[in-house]
Amino acid sequence: MRKQGYLLWAAVAALFVLVVMPLAFVGLQAVFPRLAEGSLAQPFSHFITTFNDPELIALTWNTLRLGMAVVLAAALIGIPLGALRGLFSTPMARLWDVMMLIPFMIPPYISALGWITVLQPNGYLQRLLGVNAGAFLFSFWGVVFVMTLNVLPVVYFAVSRGMEAAGGRLAAVGRVCGAGAWRSFFSITLPLAIPSVAASLLLVFAMAIEEYGTPAALAANAGFYVLVTGIEQRFNEWPIDLPGASLLSLILVFLAALAFFLQRSLAMRRNVEITTGKPMLAEKAALGRWRWPVVGVFAAVVGITTLLPLFAIAATSFSRTLSGGLTWENMGLTHYQAIFRVGGDAWSALATSISLGVGAALLTGLVGMVVAYSVVKTRARGRALLDAFSMLPNTMPGIVVAVGLILLWNQMFWPVTPYNTWVILLLAYSCLLLPYPVRYAVAALQQVSDSLEDAARVHGASSVRVLFQILIPVLAPSLIAAMLLVFAVASRELVASLLLSPTGVQTVSQFIWRQFEQGSVGQGMAMSMITVMVTTSIMILVTLWMQKKRGAAG
Amino acid sequence: MRIKPLMLAAAVAAVFASPGAQALTVYTAGPGGLIKNLAAGFEKQTGVNVEVFQADTGKVMARLEAEASNPRADVVISASWDSALDLDKRGQLLAYASPNAAAVPAEYKGPSYVAQGLSALGIAWNTKSGTPRPTDWSDLAKPEYKDLVNMPDPARSGTALELVSGLNTFDSAKTWSLFGSLKGNGMAIAGANAQALNPVLQGAKAAVFGAVDYITFGAQAKGETIEVIFPSSGTVVAARPMMILSSSKAQEEAKKFIDYVLSDEGQALVADTYLIPARTDVKAKRPVPGEFKAFPLATEAERAGSAALLKQFSTLFSGK
Repeated sequence: MRKQGYLLWAAVAALFVLVVMPLAFVGLQAVFPRLAEGSLAQPFSHFITTFNDPELIALTWNTLRLGMAVVLAAALIGIPLGALRGLFSTPMARLWDVMMLIPFMIPPYISALGWITVLQPNGYLQRLLGVNAGAFLFSFWGVVFVMTLNVLPVVYFAVSRGMEAAGGRLAAVGRVCGAGAWRSFFSITLPLAIPSVAASLLLVFAMAIEEYGTPAALAANAGFYVLVTGIEQRFNEWPIDLPGASLLSLILVFLAALAFFLQRSLAMRRNVEITTGKPMLAEKAALGRWRWPVVGVFAAVVGITTLLPLFAIAATSFSRTLSGGLTWENMGLTHYQAIFRVGGDAWSALATSISLGVGAALLTGLVGMVVAYSVVKTRARGRALLDAFSMLPNTMPGIVVAVGLILLWNQMFWPVTPYNTWVILLLAYSCLLLPYPVRYAVAALQQVSDSLEDAARVHGASSVRVLFQILIPVLAPSLIAAMLLVFAVASRELVASLLLSPTGVQTVSQFIWRQFEQGSVGQGMAMSMITVMVTTSIMILVTLWMQKKRGAAG
Repeated sequence: MRIKPLMLAAAVAAVFASPGAQALTVYTAGPGGLIKNLAAGFEKQTGVNVEVFQADTGKVMARLEAEASNPRADVVISASWDSALDLDKRGQLLAYASPNAAAVPAEYKGPSYVAQGLSALGIAWNTKSGTPRPTDWSDLAKPEYKDLVNMPDPARSGTALELVSGLNTFDSAKTWSLFGSLKGNGMAIAGANAQALNPVLQGAKAAVFGAVDYITFGAQAKGETIEVIFPSSGTVVAARPMMILSSSKAQEEAKKFIDYVLSDEGQALVADTYLIPARTDVKAKRPVPGEFKAFPLATEAERAGSAALLKQFSTLFSGK
């Protein structure tokens, strides 16, 4: 019992430092407008100014609309795809898995730019096929389309892992007892997978309402503004409105909190314990004559989600000039050569980003697992609060978290501070990305029966030993999937890095961003291609290594 | 288990937190390569290490605001003249008149700030777009340019807002009637500066109304089929101020840095990026005010009125 206490306190402490303190400063900034200067004058005075803004209601409504539309679209595509992957022996399953990881490696603003180059009037689509989809792209549904494709991997992986764990076995039992194939899917498999589905859809909603890159690239032309664009605007207009931006972020948090409680009521009250320790063959049903149609579906989804944006990025990176278009004379390696010539700069940026990505993945994986264990497996009071806090950072725009971190760590009373060193970037990424491992691990832990733990305890194992020798191996697939996602997102994080960047440290995303700002779009795209290929290779290596380990363990 | 990483982090932070004996911290919104070259040249000349934070003006100012209780920057170079005037009014700048600023025109310097370089706004026109070559702002409202014109959003681009303000001062009635016709002609409001230029380079649009000139000149130099046209009725010139914060702990080095940027070597580096050098006696690599018609710099009253102009502009162009 006492050891369990240590674990719980460790979770609380880590959560406090990583998440609660920076967010508390954001809240304080909203309440005390002069906080940055160190003064607590005029509390709440900014509330009236901000809430009097007539645009606020429209922004909030648009944000809500966008979030719900993206959740719906991601569910409609992601759940069937994940189910196919998790329950059936799909041909080339591992290839689809890798291809579905790639959209997460591409920064959202670059993916949006890629779609613009493809679908705009006189874009690649028009040059190749004669039609353009500009009107569709620069509209509400265009924004939903691009954002859904960006977040699809979250749903796909959560659902496929969840359904794999739910296993075809229980559904097979249902069929033996006389239920039809569809009935056993809807009555048995789907309900068992609801924690994973709900968890991933919650992540998707939170991501959709706080993402800046896609609305920024498309919304202006679409005339469609959301809270995040409102927040960024307060950073661009002079004088800067930090309290207003913080206040708008609190609205985002509120929206996400609503979604969180909805998800909790859906998922937490069910008994979905599947992994009971009895040996279960991870048997996947055969597809029979549905093989090729299913392959076709996967190919179509992967083609649109991954290959089209990649094609757009690659085409731009190989084009000597933007105005030259897609002609053979315009193709060349000038941008890649320029990157190699710049030499130290580009490669050190890549190395910095990858190390920070690995660091963030490890840190959040560790903390996330401990937090998830405390939330699911202990009877501690306030674990719902722990769960909620671990979810919060996902709803905060990166730039606001960055401001919170500056306000927190740039105070004179700290004897040592990570501010202005690479550690602050690690803290920022870990804060922003902690929700992923927590969500995935919570959903996975809910599928693990208490009987496993109880059996271990009966045999004398301590709480920590249970954690390391039993729970972690069972959690490993979901946790590693989450850590890979964290690595992918952390290594390309842009907005918080732009504001927090320590002098003398440059991440890959900043390098690419500066190319765009200077008008060197081709070079930016070339660096993006290189980054995507390097991070994808790392992910493939890790996945292969995992497969080997699981294979060896039998 | 939790202690080790914290101790490691603390140790690393301690290493980095100790200030360098002779280091200068510069926060800049300037073109990327420029500050790198200036820092390298300055270090070679004086041996002072320059640490750079580079982002767009909004982020630089946001960072300064958030750091207010424990400021870190010594020199700030922004792309918005307004920011210099505001910081000066708040008393946060150090008064300094560089000896090298003698050749900088009076309107581009003040008691505690001086321009590093200037940029002007113009029409960026794709020569292969199949449209006639525009010569003035009003040409873009003609039917040949229907749905083919872009403009950076004044809410996101400080220079676009300065253009709206400048045109409004020049002839308010004509300007707003022009914006009305442009809207009727399908002009799209595109977001930040780069987002307005890229579709023109890619051929989706034919021209940018209010493009930042030095970026466009740079693209032209790389072989893009784009031309910068300075309208015959006149345009705004945006100065990029350099200033020293009064909270700076390296004031002597900061002054030397300002001197360096305004020296022959520094201004030549500025000219290399296709900006107009602040000093009129340094040769620019592109047309300078005088070779094209430039509006006088905005007065304080005009600057104060820009928020209202922004609202008027947004109301006109929203509601699709």
